[in-house]
Formats: sequence, structure tokens, C-alpha cells
Amino acid sequence: MFFYYLDLAWRSIKKTPFMSLLMVLAISIGIGITITTLNIYQMASINPAGERSSKLFEVRLWSQGVDSWDELNEQITYQDSFNLRNSPVPVRQTPMFRTGFAVQTEDPDFTPILESARVTDSDFFGLFSVPFLYGGAWEAQVDQEAAYQVVISEDLNKEIFKGENSVGRTLYFNQKPYQVVGVTKTWNPSPKYYDVNNGAFNDAERIFVPYSLAPIEEYQSWGNNQSWKNESLNTYADRLASEAHWNQYWVELENPEQVRVYKEWLASYVEQQKLIGRFEMPNASGELADVEQWLKINNVVPEDNKVLVGLSALFLLVCLVNMLGLLLAKFLKRAPEVGVRRAIGASRSQIFSQHMVEVGLIGFCGGLLGLLWAWGSLSMLSVHFELEDALTQLDMSMWVLAPSIAVLAALVAGIYPAWRICSTNPSVHLKSQ
Amino acid sequence: MLQIKPIISTLMRNKSGPILLLIQIVLSVAIVANASFIISERLNLMARDSGIAESEVFDFSVYNFDSDIYFSAQNSRDMQTIRDLPGVIAATTTSMTPLSGGGWMSGFMAGETEETAKTSHAAIYYGDEQMVKTLGVKLIAGRNFYEEEIQQEIPDRANRAIVTQAFATEVWGDAPAVGQIMYAADFGEEPVEVVGVIETLQGAWVNSDELENSVILNVELAFPFTKFLVRAEEGTLAQLKEAIPAALHKDNINRVINDFSLISEHRKRVYRNHELMATVLSMMVVLLLLITSLGLAGMVMFNIERRTKQIGTRRALGAKKRDILSFFLVENYIICIIGGVIGGLVAMQLGQQLMSIYSLPKLDPVYPLATIAGLIVLTTFAVILPARKAANISPAIATRSV
Repeated sequence: MFFYYLDLAWRSIKKTPFMSLLMVLAISIGIGITITTLNIYQMASINPAGERSSKLFEVRLWSQGVDSWDELNEQITYQDSFNLRNSPVPVRQTPMFRTGFAVQTEDPDFTPILESARVTDSDFFGLFSVPFLYGGAWEAQVDQEAAYQVVISEDLNKEIFKGENSVGRTLYFNQKPYQVVGVTKTWNPSPKYYDVNNGAFNDAERIFVPYSLAPIEEYQSWGNNQSWKNESLNTYADRLASEAHWNQYWVELENPEQVRVYKEWLASYVEQQKLIGRFEMPNASGELADVEQWLKINNVVPEDNKVLVGLSALFLLVCLVNMLGLLLAKFLKRAPEVGVRRAIGASRSQIFSQHMVEVGLIGFCGGLLGLLWAWGSLSMLSVHFELEDALTQLDMSMWVLAPSIAVLAALVAGIYPAWRICSTNPSVHLKSQ
Repeated sequence: MLQIKPIISTLMRNKSGPILLLIQIVLSVAIVANASFIISERLNLMARDSGIAESEVFDFSVYNFDSDIYFSAQNSRDMQTIRDLPGVIAATTTSMTPLSGGGWMSGFMAGETEETAKTSHAAIYYGDEQMVKTLGVKLIAGRNFYEEEIQQEIPDRANRAIVTQAFATEVWGDAPAVGQIMYAADFGEEPVEVVGVIETLQGAWVNSDELENSVILNVELAFPFTKFLVRAEEGTLAQLKEAIPAALHKDNINRVINDFSLISEHRKRVYRNHELMATVLSMMVVLLLLITSLGLAGMVMFNIERRTKQIGTRRALGAKKRDILSFFLVENYIICIIGGVIGGLVAMQLGQQLMSIYSLPKLDPVYPLATIAGLIVLTTFAVILPARKAANISPAIATRSV
């Protein structure tokens, strides 16, 4: 029966090509705009931590003094980072910040390149589930006793060592030799949730060095440095002992019980710091945010995108109303024909489903064409605005979502006209013939 | 005669079609009014003057990785090398680049006593006596730094400042800013004397409320990572991109020199999201108007076919072609105006929602009004074309057939 209706629908569409084209166009443009904005929105709001999202927590501290910031800062100080590492509670934990240096190799002809790097502990890789191609993270011991070791990315390994297993080889950062201990497999979470301070859609660093080297090698901070206190920061030691916020801190907590215990530990840490004269505010505290909350706190999805999605949903609504009007006009015009079919025995439900099939077919065509529009507009936008690829690639789910939305929307729009046509009395139309 | 009464009774007899059209117009007005408001607001933001010779000024960075060099001496030599290159008009080291999205910002305290002193925030440019000329900003009061006033190495050493008019007005009101003292730390600490006022100089963050608040301080910073600002004759960037690293490497090979970018390129990047928003919304507005008028044309065409007999009869009874045309037009205007009024109200309500949920300013009523006017013009065309066809129907044929 369905295929017979499909055949009828196709014939009906061919009979009024202009009208059908208008409807397909209307719905396709509506879908095209909606999918375009939805795609940008979804890509920006994706949670790259997946199922580990609720186990990973960013730590923030209300450590500022009176008359300063009136909100929690996204980062914490070096001294707090250093102290937090002593907590026995988390499964894994790591402080970190962004730096960078000139990279050279043993090959004297290699032109030095400037690379940004992440300064962190060995737990970083396990905590964020970074896959390894060769080797692995440095030993946990290195987090206490600094050693010149480094983990590099597959990409950089290809660039410098032509993709060979480079574990054990030497690289020079600012003319100091570092030994490669691991090469990570391509790993580039988007948004870059572990450090949204320095561009949430930037690429992950290609170099990772031990945090314990920071005071020795005096790594400069290549991120935001926020300070509420007027302090002279003329040497690196000043900076480490200062109240400037420039470190990020992540912990992995297995279950709600552990979260509770860690919060207690944080509270006691805050109390202890109060005793030595820091954390002057009465509401001094430690806060945790899991990945999902963290993305929300940092407004990783810009408000603009939400306004766009809202307006494009309204836009789709206009297209549907438009289609509803056209369908109504078209179906009612066919009333005499339907009258004949009713008179020779077609039931109302048969007439109704026949028309719904036709509407569905129009919706499906509109959905496919809409996908084409969306693909076109996304490619145009990405070329014109040099957007991150992640934001403008058509998400796989859209291939299913677009035709589904289109068919569903068309069916909703078709219910009223189809009902009108099948509920009219056949005799009226027969008489007027 | 406009025959409004028969038109209304026709509309009332067959309600569903006109109601759908009405809904469509209401929604279109609401969307188009708000979208065009957001578009024009973004375009206004992008049109603000930065005060800088944007197509002549570029920045680049030098990273010195030699551990045993003396940064400030190295910077001075580099500066001389750059200034001697052909095409270069002026150059300076800097703490930040205008419109780049990243840089330095801090508060200053100014006032008679500690109690009455207030803090104002500004973007901070650390640089030398060539900074004003390099940026191409206009000095409107006081003077530039003297060469011998320039301090070296660390931010704390600043003791002279050139401020923007916007900053001066915020801090000192109508009183002349030149000669005033402000403090770079707590009240009374690190005093800085204002020596000059410039008309306009924007900071790095275009979405900041304090974009026009900028201060130039007389320090040549010396860190491993140094940013340079260069003003050169227009179109020389490509050539200097080669010449500058070559010249600087000749002095010391142990550095990485890159990130050459004109201010106009920074501008494009920093306003990218605004431009993206304006572009997508413009697409939406155009397509929406297109769909609305195509839909309307389609409906009118069908109505005409359905009413052929009626039209033929009216023509036979003496109605002129013009009367038929005006019948459809008036029908359209009635729907358009009712829809427009409701749509205008919905638009204002939607604008109110957007304002309270997101950080958007209040919708100006001009936008719904303009949208309604635009729709009336547009739908006139969408109606006239099919209606002319109807008017041309010969009464004889119309009454015979069907």
C-alpha cells in the first residue's frame, strides 16, 4: 500500500511541479539554516571527556583578599598548586600551565621552531586518557625529583623524527637537552577543556614537560596571568611565591564519596592557609567543577550561537507555516478528485495516509536538499572566516537528524490539510463536478 | 472604490488560508526585526575607529633562547637594525598589539587623598618615544616622551604616561590631564606623570567596555619574548617579513622570529565572531523574505485558479481589470497590516527576552516599523504578478470553463 501511495504522491508532485518545488525549497531552506546553526552549536558544546566527564574535576580556590575579585578565578596560584599535590585523596591529580620555547635537534641544520608546551605532572596522561604511540609518561618519581624528560605528540614526532620511534632520543629546548620518554597518539580534544583560558578551540600542545622543572628552568607562563594583589614580580622566585593566578589544577575522583572526602580535605586546606595569613575573605573556599560544569562556567558555547539556534528554529517554523498554507491550497483544489475516490469506496484513513505519504516525500526531498544547503553554507563560512575545522565540519549525526527533522516537520505541517481533505463530504464535490 | 467590505467577507468565509498567512507575517516581522537590529548593532561595533594607521602598522615577535644575553641591550640593537631598514617609518617594542585580543590591562589610582582616590582600568602599552609615531595616533595635548625619559627592563620603572582622551575624561573630567599624577600600584606608590593626551587608541579586547581607555608608559620591556610594532610604507610587509629576520639573525642566530601580522589582519580576526553573526543573520533575513514572498505568490496563484469563475462573473458584470488587481492587493494589505501590528508587538517581546537572557541591547522600535514597511512593498510585488494574470482572464472563457 505504501508504495502505491508513494507512486500516487509522485504523480501528484509531477502534476504541480512549481507548487511542489516551492514547498521543497521552503522546507529545505528552513532545514539548511537550522542544521547550519545547530552544527556550529553542537560542535562547540560537545563534551570531549565523554563518560569520564563526571569523574574529572577542575579545582578553584577563593584565595583572593578583600576588595578584589568578586568571583572565583578560573586558575590558582603556584603555591596552591604545589600544596594541593600533597592531597592523598584523588585517584590522579595534576597541576599545569602553558609555556613554550625554541626547539632544536641534534641536527645543526634544523631551523629552531617556537613551540608552546604544557608543564604538568605524570598523572596528566592517565587523567585525560591520552593514548600513547611509543613509550609512556615519565615516572611518578620525576614529579618530585626533576629530570629533563619530555613527551611529544605524534605530529611533532613526524616533523622532527620522521615518525620513527624516538623514545630515548634527545631534543633541545632553549638549548637544554631533554630526553624523549613518550610519543602520544594524535590527541586533540575540542573544545580544549583542560585549559579553556587560552582559546577553547586551540590545538593541544605538542610538548609536555615535568612540572617539577618549572622552578629550575623558570618556564614563562604563556597564558593569562591574573593578579589581585599589588606585588613586585621581578624575579621568577617572586612569581612562584606570589598571589598571581596562572596555574590550572585537575583531579580525578572515583565516586561521590571520594568527592565528599576531597571537599573536606580542601576545606581543611583553606583553614590551614587562613591560619598563616592567606585567604583573607570570610567566604574563602575550594570549589570543584566537573567537565560539563566547567564548560558551562567558561561559556565555551558563545551566547551568539544560542541566539542563532533560537532564531533559526523560529525560521523553520515560518517555513512550516508557509508549507502548511501551500499544502492546504493544493489539497483543497484536489477535492473533486478525492470526492470521486471516496465515492467509489476509499476510506477516510486511506485518503489521509495517501496525503501524509505525499507530504512525507516532500519533507524528505526538502531534508536532503537542506543538507546540501547546510554543507554549502558551512564550507562557505569556514573559508570566509577561517574557522576551526571542528566548528564547520558537518557532524555525522546531522546526516540522520536533517532528514528526520524535515520529514517530521513536514508531517506535522501536513496533518491539518490532510485532515481537512479527508473529512469533507464527498457528495459536495461530486455535485459540483 | 476599495470594496473593503466584500474583501473582508471573502476572507472570513475561508479563514484558514489567510490565518496561516497572518501567522507567517507575524513571525517574519518578529525575526527580521530582531535579526536586522543585531546585524546593525554588530556593524556599528565594527565601524569604531581604532585611532591607528591599520594598514601600515604590523607586529611580530622575537623569542631569544640564548640564556646568556642581556635582553635590554639586545632589544636596543634590534630596534636600531629595524629602524635602519628601507621602508620602515618608525618602530618600538611593545607589551601588546591593538585589536589583537590579548595583552596587558591594569588599574591606576588617581585622586587628592587615599580616601577620594578612584581606580580606573586601561590597556597598557609599554614602549618608547617612537610609539606615538609608530601607531599613527594623534597627540591633542601635551607632548610625546623625550628619548632620555625611556626606562628599561621592568614595568615598575614607568614614571611618564600618555593617555587617551577617553581615559583622561573618566579620571579627571574636564580638568586638563597633562601634569596630573596617577599611581600604578596602591595610592602613593609608583607615581606616574601624565605628559600627553592622544585622541583615540583602542586596546586589545574589542568587547570590553573600556576599549577606548589606553595608556602608553615609558618602558622598554626586556624579557626573552619581545613583541615589536613597526610602521612601514603600505605594501612593504611581505618584503620586510624576509628582511627583518635576516637582519636580526645576522646579529644573533639563537632566536625564533615570527608572527608577522598587520593590525588590519588582527582586526579581521578579533571581529570574526561579530562578522560571522552578522553574515549568518543576513542570510537568514534574505531567505526569510524570499520564502515569505514566494509562499504568498503561490497562495495567490491558487486562490486565483479557484476563484476563476468568480472573477469571470465579476468581469462580465462590469468590473475593470484594475478592480480585480486592487481586490487582491487590498486583501494582501489587510493581512499585512494586521500581521504587521501583531508582529511588531511580538518582535518587541522577543527583543525583551533576548535582552534579559543574553547581553543584547534593547530593540529599537524603528526596526519592526521598517520591517513592516519592507514587507508591504515586497508582498505587493508577490501579489501583483499572479493577480495581473487573473485580471487578464477573459470573462467569457472564465464563466464557460470549469
